[in-house]
Amino acid sequence: MPRDKVAAKAGGLGTLWRASLDDYVNDLAWSSDGRTVAAADVSGPISIFDASTGEVSRRLSGHGFGTTSLSWNNRGILASAGQDGKVRLWDVGSGEGKELDGGSQWVEKVAFSPDGKFIVSSAAKRIRMWKRSGELLWESGDHGSTVSDVEWKPGSSRDLVSSAYGGLSLWKPGSPKPTRRFEWQGSTLKVAWSPNGKYIAIGDQDSTVHFWIVSHGMDLQMWGYATKVRELAWDSASRYLATGGGEAITVWDCGGKGPEGSRPLTLEAHTEFVNALAYQRRGNHLLSGGNDGLAALWEPGRTESPLALSPLESAVSTLAFSPDDRKAAVGCEDGSVWMMEVS
Amino acid sequence: MTEALEGSRVPVTVLTGFLGSGKTTLLNRILTEHHGKRIAVIENEFGEVGVDQELVIGADEEVFEMNNGCICCTVRGDLIRILGNLMKRRDRFDYIMIETTGMADPGPVAQTFFMDDEMREKMTLDSVTTLVDAKHVSQHFDDSPEVTEQIAFADVILLNKVDLVEESEVDKLEARIRNMNAAAKIYRTKDAVLELDKVLDVGGFNLDRALDIDPKFMEPEYPFEWAGVYELEAGSYEFAFEEGPDPAMKAAILPVANTDSVELDLARDRAVLLFSGEAHPVEAGKSIVPEAKVYELDLSGGKAAFGIEVSEAGAYALFTEHYPEEFEAEVRGSDGSLSPVMEREYAPDHEHDDEVTSVGITTPGDLDVTKFNAWLGDILQNQGPDIFRMKGVLSLQGEDTRFVFQGVHMLFDGRPDRPWKEGEERTNSLIFIGRNLDREELNKGFEACLATK
Repeated sequence: MPRDKVAAKAGGLGTLWRASLDDYVNDLAWSSDGRTVAAADVSGPISIFDASTGEVSRRLSGHGFGTTSLSWNNRGILASAGQDGKVRLWDVGSGEGKELDGGSQWVEKVAFSPDGKFIVSSAAKRIRMWKRSGELLWESGDHGSTVSDVEWKPGSSRDLVSSAYGGLSLWKPGSPKPTRRFEWQGSTLKVAWSPNGKYIAIGDQDSTVHFWIVSHGMDLQMWGYATKVRELAWDSASRYLATGGGEAITVWDCGGKGPEGSRPLTLEAHTEFVNALAYQRRGNHLLSGGNDGLAALWEPGRTESPLALSPLESAVSTLAFSPDDRKAAVGCEDGSVWMMEVS
Repeated sequence: MTEALEGSRVPVTVLTGFLGSGKTTLLNRILTEHHGKRIAVIENEFGEVGVDQELVIGADEEVFEMNNGCICCTVRGDLIRILGNLMKRRDRFDYIMIETTGMADPGPVAQTFFMDDEMREKMTLDSVTTLVDAKHVSQHFDDSPEVTEQIAFADVILLNKVDLVEESEVDKLEARIRNMNAAAKIYRTKDAVLELDKVLDVGGFNLDRALDIDPKFMEPEYPFEWAGVYELEAGSYEFAFEEGPDPAMKAAILPVANTDSVELDLARDRAVLLFSGEAHPVEAGKSIVPEAKVYELDLSGGKAAFGIEVSEAGAYALFTEHYPEEFEAEVRGSDGSLSPVMEREYAPDHEHDDEVTSVGITTPGDLDVTKFNAWLGDILQNQGPDIFRMKGVLSLQGEDTRFVFQGVHMLFDGRPDRPWKEGEERTNSLIFIGRNLDREELNKGFEACLATK
């Protein structure tokens, strides 16, 4: 990427610190106060970093055969899921963990509800909901195949969406059956509910992206991706959905009449597949990480050139903005964790 | 980065076979043998357990269809997840073995490695290895299409438990399997005992290695119906015929190291090549000698006899185009009629009209690329679900290099290969393995794609 194509003065990425884990960084999660970042690596352990210094304040044992997913609640409880089939709730201060049975050989995902009172986990064909104390409250019935992703409805701690081959299921925990189904005969990988609740997007194994308009259940399918789509990120205004699935980042404009029939924005800087995307929690900036080892900062809708590019030393595997949007943690395949300052 | 990954792609072996065929025995041996390799095994219904240097992970055979307008394009979602995760680890494995359930169709597993970019980038499908229970497989041929599919997909076939079956039965079984899949390497085993290098890293899906198809496998119907091994002293013998159904018959007599069946198989392969060449006519009353020649014995006068001149005592294999009994033919020494110490029949087994067959095409000349693409496209479109495997080396008009390709159902992978060598005949060899293949139609269709000179 020639230097002059980087949009001037609109924003920057600076490295605050860099640390190294033993292996591939599977997931990163910021505590709600923005002081610490938890990083899970594929060999199992979870490292708790001081966000300003990069010091490891605690190393948790994590999960045998790998930790897959992390989530903090607003009281400083860290939940983790792993390939040992367990969900664990950690008191990061003491390093003590409470072990819960995920229900299968491996647990794919764990997520605290927006109010921090509940935890959802997915393993094999079911999802489970727990109290933050670890008490199991509810288990869904079987999905048609393995659950690929599960999310809380933004702002609601009573609504869930799960994806599996065959489409989406909307749940109100308590009932064994979904309250609604959005059918689609394809393999889903990642689900993203827009912050305003209006759209649910999925990325597919078939190199497509699907949108459902929740109010009437109509769906739109977006074709033309180079590879499977696992990277989805909504902006806070629910206007833009940034999607990966190739070297270019494709951004759909869901404002106005919606994305149907529209031409998406195409953001080009990566020379290999994009692996991770994250929008700021309130701001307009999008951060991308690629297999080419680049982190790029963008402001879709304003300019199609990157605001900043930062070459790292290995393919990016995951990234996350801090609660105040001023920092971003970037995890890489070689186990490095980079703390970037976003300006 | 891409280039660096290229060299480190981990080979994957897919292990198929019916319940009781010996898959578990083979896996256990691989896991416990001291071979110094780190092997990850994806098994059915097993938890994830580490066994010293190895790792065994349970899979759930989740097959789904890809939405690419291709009716037969199914992949294994669970493998994408499991292997995707496995490949993240820094402590990479040297090999990955995937065991399928007895009733599984190997198609979705193989297709997963073609259809998913991540799989293709980090791993390479090395081979489909199929275990066949020599004692019980015949019972399954008719009622389980899975058995024939597993054989059709295979790059390597272990004919296991041969110790429980008469050798002649194993010969028949092997001939039948060879007729279904002419491209696979077949090994006879007891307790699935076989050198690991015959199972791991064999390059069945490797365009560089797999496509040097051995010409002898291109025509699974042998050009001779019978062979007999004789122990002969130096001297003169007679090959005597009564009146028979044909006016001439090809025959060859080849020295073999001993009367072992392995030696006969080696001689068989030499004979296949000889029989494909020009035959030397021999009139009745004249003699033949044990050397690398195929003779055409003139039987037009009815009853006839030919001399066999043996200069050195030893074992000799006699190959004949037709069954000797059709002519009441026999080899005679000074003391009268001689019996072979071992006999083998190579006629196609007409008892079994298997739906699954191999069709090999070998034709010299250059292909018209446009015609060939149209022809192959049409076949894949209409018969994709029935074509399990396809491999070939092509000579394209106007190209200095060979073109190699292979496919699984409708998925196709091809690229230019090495240049044609000086003096090398530009020949197309390809093989289709599938169900309800029309040999004549395929040959005719292919011939029509040759460029007019």
